[in-house]
Amino acid sequence: MALLEVRNAGKVYGSQSAPVTALANISFSVDAGEFLALVGRSGCGKSTLLNLCGAMDFPSSGEVLIDGQVTGRLSNSALTCLRREKIGFVFQSFQLLHTLTALANVELPLLLARMANARRIAEERLHWVEMEGYADRFPHQLSGGQQQRVAIARALSQNPRLLLADEPTGNLDTATAEIILRLLRRTVDEFGVAVLLATHSREGLIAADRVIALRDGRMI
Amino acid sequence: MTGQWLLFQRLILLPLLREPMRTALTIFAVALGVGVVVAIDLAGQAATGSFHSSLEALAGRGGLSITATGGVDEMQLGKLARLPYPLEFSPRIEDFASLNGKGEAIPFIGLDWIASGKMQTLSATGTVANPVLVSRGLHLATGSPIRLLINDALHEFTVAGVLDSEGDAIVADIGMAQRVTGKAGTLDSIEVRLPNRASTDYWQRLVEDHLPASVHIAAEGSRTVSNRKMLAAFRSNLRVLSYIALIVGAFLIYNSISVSVVRRRNEIGVLRALGATRTLIGCGFLAEALAIALVGSVFGLAIGRLMAAGAVRLIGSTVNALYVSSEPGAIQLTYATAAAGIGLGLLVSGLAALAPAMEAARVTPVEAMARGREEFALAQRSQRAVWWGAVLLALSAVLSQLPAVGRRPLFAYCAVLLLIAGTALAIPYTVSLFVRVAARRIEKLLGVEALLALGSLRAGLGRTSVLTAALATAVAMTVSVGIMVGSFRETVAVWMDNQLQADFYLRPAGPAAADRHPTMSANVADRLERLPGVRAVKRIRAYAITYEGLPATLAGSESRSIQFLSGENGEAIFARLDMGDYCVVSEPFANKHNVRAGSTISLPLAGVNRAFRVLGVYYDYSTERGFILLSRQTLLRYLPDPAVSGVAVYLKPAVDAETVRTQINRIIGGRGILLSPNARLRRGALEIFDRTFRITYALEAVAIVVAVMGIAGALLAMVLDRRRELALIRFLGAAQIQVRRIVLFEAGLLGLLANGIGLMLGILLSLILIFVINKQSFGWTIQFYWPIGLLVTALAGVYGATILAGLYPAQTAVRMNPIEVIHEE
Repeated sequence: MALLEVRNAGKVYGSQSAPVTALANISFSVDAGEFLALVGRSGCGKSTLLNLCGAMDFPSSGEVLIDGQVTGRLSNSALTCLRREKIGFVFQSFQLLHTLTALANVELPLLLARMANARRIAEERLHWVEMEGYADRFPHQLSGGQQQRVAIARALSQNPRLLLADEPTGNLDTATAEIILRLLRRTVDEFGVAVLLATHSREGLIAADRVIALRDGRMI
Repeated sequence: MTGQWLLFQRLILLPLLREPMRTALTIFAVALGVGVVVAIDLAGQAATGSFHSSLEALAGRGGLSITATGGVDEMQLGKLARLPYPLEFSPRIEDFASLNGKGEAIPFIGLDWIASGKMQTLSATGTVANPVLVSRGLHLATGSPIRLLINDALHEFTVAGVLDSEGDAIVADIGMAQRVTGKAGTLDSIEVRLPNRASTDYWQRLVEDHLPASVHIAAEGSRTVSNRKMLAAFRSNLRVLSYIALIVGAFLIYNSISVSVVRRRNEIGVLRALGATRTLIGCGFLAEALAIALVGSVFGLAIGRLMAAGAVRLIGSTVNALYVSSEPGAIQLTYATAAAGIGLGLLVSGLAALAPAMEAARVTPVEAMARGREEFALAQRSQRAVWWGAVLLALSAVLSQLPAVGRRPLFAYCAVLLLIAGTALAIPYTVSLFVRVAARRIEKLLGVEALLALGSLRAGLGRTSVLTAALATAVAMTVSVGIMVGSFRETVAVWMDNQLQADFYLRPAGPAAADRHPTMSANVADRLERLPGVRAVKRIRAYAITYEGLPATLAGSESRSIQFLSGENGEAIFARLDMGDYCVVSEPFANKHNVRAGSTISLPLAGVNRAFRVLGVYYDYSTERGFILLSRQTLLRYLPDPAVSGVAVYLKPAVDAETVRTQINRIIGGRGILLSPNARLRRGALEIFDRTFRITYALEAVAIVVAVMGIAGALLAMVLDRRRELALIRFLGAAQIQVRRIVLFEAGLLGLLANGIGLMLGILLSLILIFVINKQSFGWTIQFYWPIGLLVTALAGVYGATILAGLYPAQTAVRMNPIEVIHEE
């Protein structure tokens, strides 16, 4: 059974009189330990598709299954559990809480889940992304690449099975972007996490095992 | 101008309108603050400032009034009438009556009907028994019979006509008035009408030469003037209390503009980069504050006018109970009052917004893009601010030791402001310290939501500090006034334990007032003394007088249960009191007139100014009007009227009180005399006490409402500002209930900080209130007591209200769609 399965999913926004089709007839699957790149121009539907895959949004048609569960049929509490335990997010603009240190940012999902040994686990994750020396720094005291590494550590803090990265290198220079992509690769290789990367960079395509191209909301 | 108006519209007004709830809350906070000040001013004016002493009803204007303690001998009238001056002399009797023995005391005036022209008002209904004229406001028809309680007797009269007079009054012919009031042979005053365009001072000096030393002449309305002087301290203090709500509102304006500045730093940077000057930026934010203030102040006038009606009742009952009989005037919201109210709202808001507006003007385009740095800088500045706070606190301590200025504790008021300001400066450091010290413990106790809430408060240190200061100020006011009133109440209760030792007290029935001393027949006390169960009867007779331009009471008493400030046993003092021209004075009198044991005061009695040596100063909490107490036999020597104002009855041991009570009721049956057992009198006194402070409780409540509303608005703003973070927390796996808890914990932590700081500040303020402001304003010594129950209730109530204020912002946080928020980025 695939970890993530998208079956004829479509997403339409707006009113009946003026609908906007963001996605149409999308079908693919991702197995554990697979690195899939979603590529396409801005506005082609990459972020929308990532939101469906992360159970943050639901398709207007078709289905999205995560570990065999149809996301659209889950209750609010079940969805919260799903996002907490199985899915990690990495954003283009890092999205760290500027009121917390690097370590506290990584620790946050663990505390929200009321996990024991949250601090120890957070320190391990921070060590894994080679940011243990910056544990007490606040986000505004870190560079873009450093912030993104902390964000990846946070996304991995609860051992997710699926990591969704929405243009994580979009705000970074080439050298730093390569570091981040290598980190994502390591995630796949060392933890067996499935990574779904939305990107329009060449380096992102090279790092992935497989590429799905989107144009105007459809697979090409 | 069009361009500037467009800029103002787009950059200032539209952002305000985009957050209607927050803007409305801030406007309403200002409105309440201004409303309270306006209400107290209007009510104070109506209850005290615009009135004439009720007894001056139907008096002429611009003339002179001749009075004397115990009344003017009516023979004086004949002597004065024979003076070769173009003056008209009119006799007056002034007393009070209750309709049917119940309800308000109405001025009962005796005039020479022929000389005063009142004969024209009589209806042509033929001769009636005991005719009186009544004011239109009493709604009594001509010809109707009425019964009036005057002193201790009910008298029957007939309404013979209706007067168009300012205020309520009942007018009788002078002869009948003298008879029913027991003032045969004396007059309460002789009014002197002067020739047109005459100099009042000239005629006063001329007539004074023909009067005995103990008879006093002054301009008409002087009683009103002296009462107003006495009430000035009361009004000042009330006014200062009303400003607290406005100060809390000022904190909220400061916070609101600061929030605007912080949120719009990027925008400011962009505007500066596009060519906007610093002045334009600063003026823009100032204009935002003034726009809120203007709308709030206008609403505040309406709120103030509505609240004034209730406030008049509260203030009026205090004035009557503690100071002087008066009938409140109409509440008048004049253009001047309205302009002053709006001006005050604009001034306070403008001053409050000045600092954040200037900070906004200083922002450079580069700085505007650096998020987080401004709060980091504030955390550093907070340590310096603590030292400045300490300086202000020290200065406050120094000022609180300085004496009053013209009987007003102006330095003490400044000390209060400095104490509040000094505490406000120390708050940022206190919040930082609290977060550092408490973070781990709070996380262990309350979980990650509380930790996130704490982090948010620390991150928004500037905002947190101002909100804490606003709520802490309101809490401090509640605590300080609560301690002051609680201490005062306890002091009065203990004083009554010592002072009120008789088993029964009797006085003429009718509403009591500080300046009214109706009398009852002397034979009542004589008959009570002969009852077998009675051990002793102590009589007191009191007269309302003026001493050095301030109202006071002169009394002759047989009672010996008073406590002296010196703590000495009163026996020696009382023994000397009977022996000659000696007196003891109450503490308020001593403070007002700078009199001590050993001083000499001069009293105009029986034709001569007599010197009385003060033997001691005693505690007295029954009235703020000063008391001069002679022994009864000394007073009778100079004012021989044997009627008494009150009687205290002491029973023999083991006597059945109910039996004696029945016997007393038989003696006083048919008379308008009120018999109060000791317990009932104490209860009644405490009820009057509690009633007098209702206005202060109302003011405190308004300040708390203003602060809590401000908290609600600010929390809402914080939620909106942190929507990205809250959405992210949802992305990271937080349930909705966890997000709700984060916001409620923020409210709770704010409430906790404010309560803690407010409690400490309130205790310090209470010391100034009790030992300085009260002492300098009213002259009373208050012993410090802790009203624990009241404090716990008040603090718990405030804390609960703060949590409630967080409910709507919490709900807003929960309703946000995380996807929409994240993609806004």
